[in-house]
Amino acid sequence: MKLLVVEDEALLRHHLYTRLGESGHVVEAVANAEEALYQAEQYHFDLAVVDLGLPGISGLELITRLRNQAKTFPILILTARGNWQDKVEGLAAGADDYLVKPFQFEELEARLNALLRRSSGFTQSTIAAGPLVLDLNRKQATLDEQPLGLTAYEYRILEYLMRHHQQVVAKDRLMEQLYPGDEERDPNVIEVLIGRLRRKLEGECGFKPIDTVRGLGYLFTERCR
Amino acid sequence: MIRSLRVRLMLAAAVLAVLFMLALLPALQKAFSLALQESIEQRLASDVTTLISAARIENGQLQMPALLPDERFNLPYTGLLGYIFDRAGQLVWQSRATAAQNINYQPRYDGRGNEFARIHQANGEEFFVYDVEIKLLGGKSAAFSIVALQPVRDYQRTLDGLREKLYLGFGAALLALLALLWAGLTWGLRSLRRLSRELDDLESGARDGLSTHHPRELLRLTGSLNRLLQSEREQRQRYRDSLDDLAHSLKTPLAVLQGVGESLQQHNGEREQARVLQSQIERMSQQIDYQLQRASLRKSGLVRHSVVLRPLLDSLCSTLAKVYRDKHVDVTLQVPDQARVPMEQGALLELLGNLLENAYRLSLGQIRVSLFREAGRLTLCIEDDGPGVPANQRQRILERGERLDSQHPGQGIGLAVVKDIIDSYDAELSLDDSALGGAAFRITFNLE
Repeated sequence: MKLLVVEDEALLRHHLYTRLGESGHVVEAVANAEEALYQAEQYHFDLAVVDLGLPGISGLELITRLRNQAKTFPILILTARGNWQDKVEGLAAGADDYLVKPFQFEELEARLNALLRRSSGFTQSTIAAGPLVLDLNRKQATLDEQPLGLTAYEYRILEYLMRHHQQVVAKDRLMEQLYPGDEERDPNVIEVLIGRLRRKLEGECGFKPIDTVRGLGYLFTERCR
Repeated sequence: MIRSLRVRLMLAAAVLAVLFMLALLPALQKAFSLALQESIEQRLASDVTTLISAARIENGQLQMPALLPDERFNLPYTGLLGYIFDRAGQLVWQSRATAAQNINYQPRYDGRGNEFARIHQANGEEFFVYDVEIKLLGGKSAAFSIVALQPVRDYQRTLDGLREKLYLGFGAALLALLALLWAGLTWGLRSLRRLSRELDDLESGARDGLSTHHPRELLRLTGSLNRLLQSEREQRQRYRDSLDDLAHSLKTPLAVLQGVGESLQQHNGEREQARVLQSQIERMSQQIDYQLQRASLRKSGLVRHSVVLRPLLDSLCSTLAKVYRDKHVDVTLQVPDQARVPMEQGALLELLGNLLENAYRLSLGQIRVSLFREAGRLTLCIEDDGPGVPANQRQRILERGERLDSQHPGQGIGLAVVKDIIDSYDAELSLDDSALGGAAFRITFNLE
């Protein structure tokens, strides 16, 4: 998933960038609201983590602006004060959950996963489509209850497609799931990854859930639950 | 002890007015009676003159006409009596009107000329007497006392009438005076009443300061109060801002440290050290939260706040419903729309936020918030259908606030903050079983 982290404290920002990256997310970590607005304009994010105590434009104002720009991805706020005034204002402005500093990374991750699950309409921590089951917590896929040996990139692509099942997903969008915005991109990588995924899914049972929509992108045709 | 300024002023003014009138009444009566006596004297003198001009001396004898020009001498019961005595005091003539009277009066011919006096009769009746001694009459020598009398009765009746009128007049004047005074006081004290209304508004939070449209005498007072309020507000705001800054500047580094601890554990396998680090970080963080919230949420002294409960509950419930949306909690609010709670908004929000989050976290699907008032007490009750709190642990949970300073890392500070806020507002927190099946937290405010 592609996450936006907005935190002015450099060390904490770096920590979040590293740990969330390790958890299999593509993270854009920025230090202020202006940069965050720019990033949100440029890329499609699946979730944002916003510190309320930002310098300049406040976290609250940032959330309001994002929502005014019709950005619907879930937002989790980080608050140092931990008082209810902040939480109520933050959620009223459009955030979806809050976490009080300092926090354990596991808790942040659990909250983020819950928000991501909810935003794609899933309430369980697994997504199933026919014989294919994705365990979102363990980042593992099984086909006919047999573990599917996917690389991290393949898993990301598959999870994204399944979350957006029965929707055409552009190649660029998938690219954003793999690389942070400013990295060099090779459009062939997606084709290669999709090809490998198809082969692994087809395996022995002949499961073919990924269609190519020419000129537009890819479509996960199975209904996911 | 009379507590109303207006009643005090009215009483003082009424006592003063009554005393003043009581002093004035006899003086007025005296002046009037003197004036009346003087006019009676003048009238009797003119009556005597009538007698003198009617009298003649013939052959050394006094001759009076049968009818006198002044009718009152001729008719009985007119009250005007005329007598003429000789030098020896022998009655030589009396007017017709004296027929029905028997006056015991003895003039003294002693050369003193005119005399005005008041005489008493044996039957208790009194008369004014005007007695004139004459030596010559019509150019002939004659020594007579010519006397005109008038009963005091008429004079007394006039005087009584006057007294009655005076009393009535003074009574009416007193009433009118008091009514005017009441109106004047109402006008004068109106500014005090307005000030009191403004203070009510101020205490209820409906206004920030007192207006400047008060009389000069009050402006100094309202000015000082406004400055005091302003400085309290600013100080409070500054205080809160610095506490916020402090929270931010302490807790963000703690979050970094927390991350470092986690990295240690993850990469170097320093599990034990990382655990110690994390428990200490958590403890510091709780202390910071607790002390900062405690410092900023205690009751402020000057303004008596009260907040409409409903909107606060609505916004908290919509916040929590969003956070716990997977849980589908059904919240019942039994709170009148305009019902107020005697607390400051920030403190009430923290209090309710902590208790409601507790309820959301522990409930199976039902929460009830109710507010009711009975016998001068206002009770706010938050119930859930969760597991509840065993009776033997309730006391410990309610006392956690006091003990948090020294121990219990790892426990949420929510209830400690709640307890602290409630204590600072002199309210009571109790914990028992709810009809829903879980815990019921009750906060009771004494309104008297």
